[in-house]
Amino acid sequence: MAQPPSVGQFEQLVLTAVLTLKEDAYGVTIHEKVGELARPKSISLGAVYVTLDRLEDKGLVSSWLSEPTAERGGRAKRCYRMEALGERALQESTATAQRIFDALVKALGKEGARQWGKRWGKEASG
Amino acid sequence: MKAAPSKAAETVLGILIPPACREEVLGDLHERYTGPLRYFGDALSVVPCVIVSRIRRTTDPQVLLMEAFALYLSFVGVARISGQSSILYEPWGLLRLAIPTAVTLIALVLADAYADPAKRSPIKPMVQTAFCIGVAFLSQATFWATNPDLAVPLRIMLYGAGLSLVLVSALRVFFPKDDNRPRGAT
Repeated sequence: MAQPPSVGQFEQLVLTAVLTLKEDAYGVTIHEKVGELARPKSISLGAVYVTLDRLEDKGLVSSWLSEPTAERGGRAKRCYRMEALGERALQESTATAQRIFDALVKALGKEGARQWGKRWGKEASG
Repeated sequence: MKAAPSKAAETVLGILIPPACREEVLGDLHERYTGPLRYFGDALSVVPCVIVSRIRRTTDPQVLLMEAFALYLSFVGVARISGQSSILYEPWGLLRLAIPTAVTLIALVLADAYADPAKRSPIKPMVQTAFCIGVAFLSQATFWATNPDLAVPLRIMLYGAGLSLVLVSALRVFFPKDDNRPRGAT
């Protein structure tokens, strides 16, 4: 079985967006979802396109053009779908995040880890 | 009725966005349109990114290096054998010969990025190379008109361009660009 390539934090966000949006994953919706996940940071649409291209090159997602629609000025959408390799890459990074959280819980206690996370969140948004 | 961007703005963007991703990017920008200011902001953030991403996808660093070598070797080689080898010993002579090489390379990279993947032709490598060498000639014409000290002598340019055309076209035939989307994409 092919080993999934390592993915960066932004790639994890884009992969999560593609996975959760299912059939409705295309540029605009993926950008909105990534914006939600990355809050309070603002994300540019261009960064999402670049990351989708890179993920496609790595074989983690695949894409196809849909039928053109009137609300898009008669233009097609490029829809994205998660590939098996992409799911495994996301599972690995989720497991790593879980291990980080477990290590924090072990060092600071459950409440301490939660407070630490909240404090970081406030600092990031402030 | 939903607001829509002006035809002129879409036409300009359509020219700037590489054909391989033009359809979906223009569609996404159209869908997100709420006013000209936001459209302009979106376009500013998207266009450079899609161009860079397309260049990354269509440029093979190894082939590019070989092309650079072939181009520079053509101009230096022609300077050496055409009886104008004095340029090689001038203080900035080798750098002057690098200018048409660099211009042709930049033109080749952009030509690859802006090539339409739907249009394929066996003579495409040669036509594309000829066009990019033409751009190098244009840049030299500018130098001849404005700063002749930086220009490469016409004879070296002519013979160097001919040799470059053969070498770079051959490289492009032997190492074709795979500008298809990689997996399951249409």
